[in-house]
Amino acid sequence: MSFREKSAWTMAAVMLVTGLFYAWLVSNGPAAPVIGPLIPYVLLVIILSVAVQIVLAIFSPRDAQAAADEREKLVIWRAGHLSGIILAVGLLMSGAVYVLHPFGNMLFHHMLGAMIVAQVAEYLLQIYFLRRGY
Amino acid sequence: MPKRPPITNRVKELREQHGQMSQQGLGDAVGVTRQTIIAIEQGRYSPSLETSFRIARLFGVGLEDVFGWEGD
Repeated sequence: MSFREKSAWTMAAVMLVTGLFYAWLVSNGPAAPVIGPLIPYVLLVIILSVAVQIVLAIFSPRDAQAAADEREKLVIWRAGHLSGIILAVGLLMSGAVYVLHPFGNMLFHHMLGAMIVAQVAEYLLQIYFLRRGY
Repeated sequence: MPKRPPITNRVKELREQHGQMSQQGLGDAVGVTRQTIIAIEQGRYSPSLETSFRIARLFGVGLEDVFGWEGD
C-alpha cells in the first residue's frame, strides 16, 4: 500500500471518528451555542490529524517527504472535484432543511456535517482511484 | 469495471532486460512512485508524454518501442 493510500485511509478514519464525535456532541444539546461542540471537534481533528501524519512519517520518512507524482495529482484532483459536488449537494440540502425548519444552530451543524461527509468522501475516492490506477 | 486505456507497453520487459531494474529504481529514475510504475505495467494507467519519453530515453529506445496503440 502506498504512503498516499495509507494517509487517505487514516485521514478518512480520523474524519469519520471526529464527525461521529461532533454528531454526539450536537445530539446532547442541539439548542446550545454552536461554539460548544465546535471547539472540542476542531481541536480533536487537529490533534488526531497531526498525530497520524507524524506516525506515518516516522514509518515512511522518505515517502512522507515526496511530492505527489503525476498519477497521484490526477487522483487528488479528481477526488477533490467529486467531493466538491458532494459538498454542494450537502449544502443545498442544509439550506432546504433550514427553509422547512428555520433554526440557525441546526443550519450550522448541517453545513459542517456536509463538509465532514464531503471530506470523508474525498479520502475514500482517493483510495478508490489510487487502487484503480487513475 | 473502468475501461482500460488502449495503450500497451513493454515497460516490464525492458526493465527486466536492463539488469533486473526494480520498479522503485525505475520510478526514482523517471520521477514517479513505485505504485505508478506498477499501474503502468498493469495497463491501468497511461503515463504523461513527458514520463513516457523519460522511460524510453532511460532504456535507450524510441517511444514506440515502449508504447503501442491497441485497437482502432
